Amino acid sequence: MSDERDSLSPTKIGLGVLWPAFWTALPIKLAFAVVFLAMDLMQFEGRLGLAFVMLLASPVTVFALPIISMGLESHIGEGAGIALLFLLSIPIDIWALNLVARTYFLEKFRKEPPDGLGLTLWWKCAVAGAVFLPLLWFVVSAVTSTSISMAHSLFDMELFHGIPVAERIGAELSLWGGISAGVLIVLLLIGVSIVGRIIRSTAQTARPISESYQHVVTRWDLMRVPADQGLMLTAVTLGGAVLSVLFWASLPVTTPHPHECCKKPEVRAEPPFKPLEALNKDEKMIAQLEGQVDALEKQKAEAEKDKGKGKKAAGDAAPAAKKP
Amino acid sequence: MQPQLKSKVRCTDREIGEVTKVIVDPLSREISHIVVSMNGSGERQVSMALVQAVTGDAVQLRNASSEVAALPPFKRDEYISTHEVEIAHLEDNLHVTPGEVLVPFPELEKNVKRRTFFMNFTHAIGFLIGLPIAFPILRYLMKPMYAPFDNGWLKIGNVSKIKTDDIGFQFKYKKKVKEAYLPEAEVEKNVWILKATPGVLEKVYQNKDMEFRDASGKSIWTNKKDIPYVAFSGKCPHLGCGYKWRQHKVLGQVFLCPCHLSIYDASGKVLDGPAPRPLDALPIKVSASGEVEIIDMEFKAGTKAQVRII
Amino acid sequence: MEHPSIPSTQPTAIEKVIAFVDERIGLKQMQAKMLNEPVPGGSRWAYVFGSVLLFIFIMQAVTGILLMFYYVPTADHAYASTQYIIHDVDYGWFLLSYHFWGSTAMVVCVFAHMSQVFLWGAYKPPREMIWLVGLALFGIVMGFGFTGYLLPWDQRAYWATTVGVEIMDKTPVVGDFMARFLKGGPTPGQMTLSRFFVIHVMILPAALMGLAGLHLFLFRAAGPAGPFRGTPEEIRVKTDFFFPRQVWKDIVGMAVVFASICALAFWEPVVLLEEATPDPGDYHPEPEWYFLFLFQLLRLKVFAGEFGQFLGAIALPGAFMALLAALPFIDRDPERNIFKRPVALIGWIVVMVAILLFTVSAIINREFLD
Repeated sequence: MSDERDSLSPTKIGLGVLWPAFWTALPIKLAFAVVFLAMDLMQFEGRLGLAFVMLLASPVTVFALPIISMGLESHIGEGAGIALLFLLSIPIDIWALNLVARTYFLEKFRKEPPDGLGLTLWWKCAVAGAVFLPLLWFVVSAVTSTSISMAHSLFDMELFHGIPVAERIGAELSLWGGISAGVLIVLLLIGVSIVGRIIRSTAQTARPISESYQHVVTRWDLMRVPADQGLMLTAVTLGGAVLSVLFWASLPVTTPHPHECCKKPEVRAEPPFKPLEALNKDEKMIAQLEGQVDALEKQKAEAEKDKGKGKKAAGDAAPAAKKP
Repeated sequence: MQPQLKSKVRCTDREIGEVTKVIVDPLSREISHIVVSMNGSGERQVSMALVQAVTGDAVQLRNASSEVAALPPFKRDEYISTHEVEIAHLEDNLHVTPGEVLVPFPELEKNVKRRTFFMNFTHAIGFLIGLPIAFPILRYLMKPMYAPFDNGWLKIGNVSKIKTDDIGFQFKYKKKVKEAYLPEAEVEKNVWILKATPGVLEKVYQNKDMEFRDASGKSIWTNKKDIPYVAFSGKCPHLGCGYKWRQHKVLGQVFLCPCHLSIYDASGKVLDGPAPRPLDALPIKVSASGEVEIIDMEFKAGTKAQVRII
Repeated sequence: MEHPSIPSTQPTAIEKVIAFVDERIGLKQMQAKMLNEPVPGGSRWAYVFGSVLLFIFIMQAVTGILLMFYYVPTADHAYASTQYIIHDVDYGWFLLSYHFWGSTAMVVCVFAHMSQVFLWGAYKPPREMIWLVGLALFGIVMGFGFTGYLLPWDQRAYWATTVGVEIMDKTPVVGDFMARFLKGGPTPGQMTLSRFFVIHVMILPAALMGLAGLHLFLFRAAGPAGPFRGTPEEIRVKTDFFFPRQVWKDIVGMAVVFASICALAFWEPVVLLEEATPDPGDYHPEPEWYFLFLFQLLRLKVFAGEFGQFLGAIALPGAFMALLAALPFIDRDPERNIFKRPVALIGWIVVMVAILLFTVSAIINREFLD
């Protein structure tokens, strides 16, 4: 065991802390993410996987992602929920980093973890991420687009003209995919080792412990049991219940993506009905119409009179004009 | 030999008690400690490392009784019995009880011939229950799989609308189908009919009349090779898509399937694309007044051999 | 732990009920036996996938049963009833999307579980039978995906099934019989839908429950394999019991999977295409994503033609599955550390990368289909 301690490379340290911290924080962030999705506070574009990883891989992404979104015009999604999720991630990540880093200190470094380890590591990782990740994003995007066009033009050559479509797609994909993935992995490992160095430097000043291995394991194991179990259980249950109720209330009843066949008819609100106004308007209209009818009848009567002057007997048949 | 429960425990100087309990390591399944009664003065947990020898009724320790008495007392709370924990194959590896616990066979079960008879007969009856139902089940499931073909002639139109030779004309028709219990439905189908010049006709017929036979080999119909009208099934032999008659920029007037770009010439021969065989010709009858009748057939898609399925 | 009972107060009603049942069936001991299983080397997050798969199956069964309240498996009603669920039944779109994405989650977790068992060498003696039953379960999960896909009866469903069954037809000797059996006739129609429905809703669930039970029983009989490296002392120090530690990790895993499926249901709810027609028209048939790699493999020229299709679709995958089945019997080296088993590690990486490459190729190939 002791020789393993000495051979702990920064990459191993970085991976050994970041990987568990990511997964420790994930379930809590995910619960909020689902509720925000239900409340339609966030909508993701096509790159859902990438979005999730970046969002939930904070702390290293917490400052990096806004920089990437703004500066490099990449867009993972819209909605206030994304920003909210990031804000919520801060305390969650600090807690997760604290738990994981303390475990790592005890188990692998055999050193006493200093106080406030979580907070210290969080802001250091966030800053490191803010610097490194946009760089990584830029480099990987550039390498990817270059290698795609390189692969395209390579296979456009006369030499490869006879290659059928499926084989060509596979060959091109292997080529640019391999290059791009390779660069991404190398850069990620470098980033992870930077984090490892940060952690190692934090450990320099820590006091070594001399307890037995069983004691160390028991210690970090019991670290996970909350001091006040009743409070923790109640808080988590109540919090979960609140989130569930929010979820029930905001879940759309019918599909947000209706098919052509079954679109619901547009519901247009009826204009508000104002009784007095309507009454007045109608009365005016009736009066107006009455006047028109009178005028018409007068016209007709005069026309009849003119005719009647010409025809004596026919005038008797003129009906008495009745007022409506 | 594993230490037996209740066997005596001896130190170098005297006997100190008996084995009251045995402790097993859950991962290696080996006995790690014995618990000694110390003749009532407080049980002690003794590591197997201190055991010098084990016999059927005694365990010999290497140490003096005073050293054993100085060991920390046994804490029952830190252990659970093997009844309350699941450890794979534990009982197979543990032999700490002297002797076995036995249960007698009931008198009736002592007769081996009786047991074997009833066992074999049970198998036989079970088989015989299954056997009669197996065949009906098979036929039940297979009922719709090999339906007989409908070889009725369908009137689909008149050749008077075909004005030019060697050009594909699509005739659309409706076929009545009844699938199982579903109400009778009409399916829209189409065929492509050509008035073929002798050159194209020869490519289609290859100097042989086209015979259509049923499963038993009996002839249903023969398309004579000198009748100039040819009918092709409207389904592409590659995957069953409906194909069209188009002007191709290189190959001229052809049948072209939009799904995977199979291309056929006027005689149905494959010019390009993934089609495994030429277009399927159907039985065709043209009356003196020009009324066209066909027998509607469908063939399995994607195979080189022409296999009729409908 | 059996604590000597020191009744300071009268037993509560619940305690009385438990004592009643315990007297009759040995409940407490049975419970202890079930839960107190030592996990050598400690419970691990890597071990959760088996339980997560069980959870996903239960969720699929529940959502599936709910869907059956409204779905009608006839050719004239399947599409309309599915659209009804999506558009008119309260939260029907959500439950259907959950069921749909749940099947994806199941395939992902099956791959994760098989990979974990493979990488940990937990198929080696004495765990051969668990591995074999597991391979059968894998086949059943794929069968679930294939049969369920047809049920909405839209263009995508109908044509994915048609192409899939035609491929099966290429098996020599029994291919035609098998294809006709599944289709219920020479061409896909009502009979096909009925058969796929029965298989999806009755036959496969029964088979899965039976084999999963066997799988669990065999696993308990052999015990967990534990980590592949560590000194005996390290392993002993970290050992804990299945309950509550591994169960805790299992349930967090289940919660994460549950939330992920919900999130996916929001991001991409189920949307049907046009109703199925016998002529594919402009539609290009495509199977579910987890069969895409096979679909793309069959596009390669080396697998063209009838025999080629049989080779690529049946023979090659069949040979691979046979290799997996034979694995515990040909790989008898007791070494379980994956970093000391280069053939295994490289083999696994190659297979995973190949599947990934072919899947992505299939997606890219969509642009080149006209």
